Amino acid sequence: MHYDLIIIGMGLSGLMAAKTAAEAGQKILIIGKGMGSLSLFSNTIDVLGSLPKAMKMEPHKQAPDVDTKARRGEHPVSEGQFTHGQGSGSLGTGMSDGLSQWIKDRPKHPYSKVGLDRIEEALSSFTSLFPPPYSFQAVANGNCLIPTGAGTLRPTYLIPITMVAGTSLKKGDALIVGFKGFKDFYADYVADQLNCRGVTLSLSETFREEITATALARLMERESFRETIGRAIKEKIYGETRVGLPALLGVKESWKVKKELEEIIGAEVFEIPTLPPSVPGLRIFNRFKEWLIQKGVTFLLGYSVSKATLKGKRCERIDVFNPPIFNSYSADRYILATGRFIGGGLVADDEKIFEPIFNLPVIQPQSREEWFGKSFFNDSPHPVHQAGILTDSSLRPIDEKGESVLENVWVAGSILADHHSVDEKSREGIEITTGYATAKQAIEHGA
Amino acid sequence: MDIQTEVLIVGGGATGGGIARDLSLRGIPCILIEKGDLTSGASGRNHGLLHSGGRYAVSDPEAARECISENKFLRRIASHCIEETGGLFISLPEDSLDFRDRFLQACEKTGIPTTPLSRDEALELEPELTPDLLSAVKVPDGAINPFELVLGNVKDAEKHGAKFILHTEVTSLLMDGGKIKGAWAKDLINGEEYLIHAPYLVNATGAWANQFLKLADLHIDLALSKGSMLITNQRLNHRVINRCRPSSDGDIIVPNDTVSILGTTSVRSEEVESFEVTPSEVALLIKETGKMVPAIRGTRLIRAYAGIRPLFQFGGKGGDREISRGFTLIDHGKRDGLQNLITITGGKLVTYRLMAEKTSALICQKMGIDVPCSTHLKPLPGVSESLKLKDRLKKIGQPFSADGGEILCDCELIRRGEVEGILKEEKLKALQDILHRTRLAKGTCQGGFCVYRLLGVLHDLKMMEKDSNKILKGFLEERWKGIRPVLWGTSLKEEELIENIYKGIFNF
Repeated sequence: MHYDLIIIGMGLSGLMAAKTAAEAGQKILIIGKGMGSLSLFSNTIDVLGSLPKAMKMEPHKQAPDVDTKARRGEHPVSEGQFTHGQGSGSLGTGMSDGLSQWIKDRPKHPYSKVGLDRIEEALSSFTSLFPPPYSFQAVANGNCLIPTGAGTLRPTYLIPITMVAGTSLKKGDALIVGFKGFKDFYADYVADQLNCRGVTLSLSETFREEITATALARLMERESFRETIGRAIKEKIYGETRVGLPALLGVKESWKVKKELEEIIGAEVFEIPTLPPSVPGLRIFNRFKEWLIQKGVTFLLGYSVSKATLKGKRCERIDVFNPPIFNSYSADRYILATGRFIGGGLVADDEKIFEPIFNLPVIQPQSREEWFGKSFFNDSPHPVHQAGILTDSSLRPIDEKGESVLENVWVAGSILADHHSVDEKSREGIEITTGYATAKQAIEHGA
Repeated sequence: MDIQTEVLIVGGGATGGGIARDLSLRGIPCILIEKGDLTSGASGRNHGLLHSGGRYAVSDPEAARECISENKFLRRIASHCIEETGGLFISLPEDSLDFRDRFLQACEKTGIPTTPLSRDEALELEPELTPDLLSAVKVPDGAINPFELVLGNVKDAEKHGAKFILHTEVTSLLMDGGKIKGAWAKDLINGEEYLIHAPYLVNATGAWANQFLKLADLHIDLALSKGSMLITNQRLNHRVINRCRPSSDGDIIVPNDTVSILGTTSVRSEEVESFEVTPSEVALLIKETGKMVPAIRGTRLIRAYAGIRPLFQFGGKGGDREISRGFTLIDHGKRDGLQNLITITGGKLVTYRLMAEKTSALICQKMGIDVPCSTHLKPLPGVSESLKLKDRLKKIGQPFSADGGEILCDCELIRRGEVEGILKEEKLKALQDILHRTRLAKGTCQGGFCVYRLLGVLHDLKMMEKDSNKILKGFLEERWKGIRPVLWGTSLKEEELIENIYKGIFNF
């Protein structure tokens, strides 16, 4: 079968690229081995959690540095700093200015290749996929701080409605609720760190004394379960105005789960991201999947690309091993969005790192000894995290000399070089914006 | 706090624990003091090998005899700490069969039972061996769990009246007229101070011998040798596999429950506390052990670790009580004029009981007491219940048992009930203490998930007084030392997940 565009990788970048191209009327195949990091650790949309401090508007001044001395777990920028001023487009002033400065300081960063305008368009496109009631929003025009499963606070940009009540927590505000048998969240631990009270509820629905996040999330979708849980929580409240639960308020209709729990309990309810899997990430994936399939995109989940056939600087087709047969798919253009090591987008043997599908050059430290620093925390970001695929300004792969490698292949997402999403707190932002930009580039290029 | 005892033992490794057991079984009151947790030194960082002695048969027959003799005692008294795997010494094409013949003769002379095997017979027993091997010799090697061993000694000693003070460091010695009178010590966690009155003091600090002897302005000729080891994600061999050649690096693969341990190297070191496994050691170990078991070359490694061997340079002043070239008992009264201070140094895990016996015998002699040693006769009490994998698997199949609850460590199948049992039973002061007493965090993810859960459980039990996140970060930093040297392939994938959880989701 022949397509206009084949997207390899079903993480947030691939999905965003597919949406963008589908909206332009392209015939698309998206193929993915798995659901990508959305299902593992994406919960909210980070754009640039480590915003540079003290934004001054004098153009001749030195670019301020990221406050690396800020203790981890603390937001490097004081809250409320960016709440004034007009928002430019969909981004608040703070985020917009922060990104402008960031792009100026880092011309090789993926955000620079996308450009501020397309960053805004991409984020708009993402949020439009989630109309109310389950919508994503920026709180206070810039980054907000949400509580985590370790009781720390984490800066992020767009959060779903189910997490809004967890921002701006003050001591004693919230009751943290955990569940016996759900071993990936501990109410007393979180409460201790946040200076609140915690309570652990017993469940009768565990299997062999355990229950998983997704199973618990599906239980939450049942009215009778919500009644029971809600009433149990209501009894434990002692003056708190909000209740924090682990992030499993339903896989579907989470806004309804939240609303009904709030009605029963009589307090605001919010969810707290914890160990994988990520139920909020799963919700994002499911929404994209539903939308894309409805738009006629061919959606192949659970399939792995085994080989790409190249001719000169063009990819002609890809082979997908679907035991016992091989299927071949071809397209005019391809987008590689296979992620980093977890999904196998990048592979490391004991000497070097390579990209297995197109064998694209991977920029990397000279030797394995240099991949990681000696201290886990103090040497962060580790050099290996900046390794990845080099691209030109249109996000097509190039080699170290700057020569184009493939003409009809674009690269999106965390596989790109020159960023380190964990330390920058930019993961979902890079995925969404580069997914969007590569689709735009691919469409504009073809004709 | 003021305490009185007869013998103060400094050092909580196998030797110190063994001495405490030996003395207490002889009815002699003793206190053992250790600045970390039990097995903090080489006792917790070795190959886990229950030597048959084959390795020393040719080069050091006396040490070999000690090994085989102690090997038999340990099988009797510590059977629950030992997996009777058996061992093979294999000859590869580049090894001289001449050496193998000398090896067989030397084993016979030193009383080590051997059975020569043909290539095919060896491959039948251990199919993962290289098909290039020439021949093999069967020996009674085994795999031993040093944590269980030391904890068993300690438990027995406590039962017979010995006291153990952990996380406490000796700060100065009490001396009077050329005689030891006791020591001052300080609890490193809560600051409590102890004054321990003891007429006899044993320095069983292993590689820290000179750090300790500084307190008495003394010094012994001790060389430190680092030995590095790698742990594979899967168990690759049934039996211990040794290279039949003069001792060299990368000669031994020891199976240990669910994994295999590749070892070892021998690098002179100046540092007793900070050391790391270097990339060249990693490459060397994979290359050499990979010659014996080819699958090693592509296998996933989950951890690298090293231990420091104290090597006593024999040939010092008079008064050194040379028991064997394996270990040395130093009477500082005879040697340095400080009466009733003894240092026991050198040795290996498998001869700990003999070292303890000789040390205890010397003390008894000085005391004028004549009570025989019984440590080789009485079995050690078992400490943890679900030691073997098949026991743990059986337990998983029984829900709603007393030590049930959810599985905290998915890699090693450790349930909440077992962990709560350990937490409630013992007075544990630090995270490592808990980790020493369970297999939690020893599996594939090396604690990436389960230590977070463990801290959650501590909170649920209201046993957490400190900042959990500080402890968790400390753990992750410590864990990194073992993981960084082997980060590629699948291990690198896992590490990406771990970083995204702790630095990403949790924003540490």
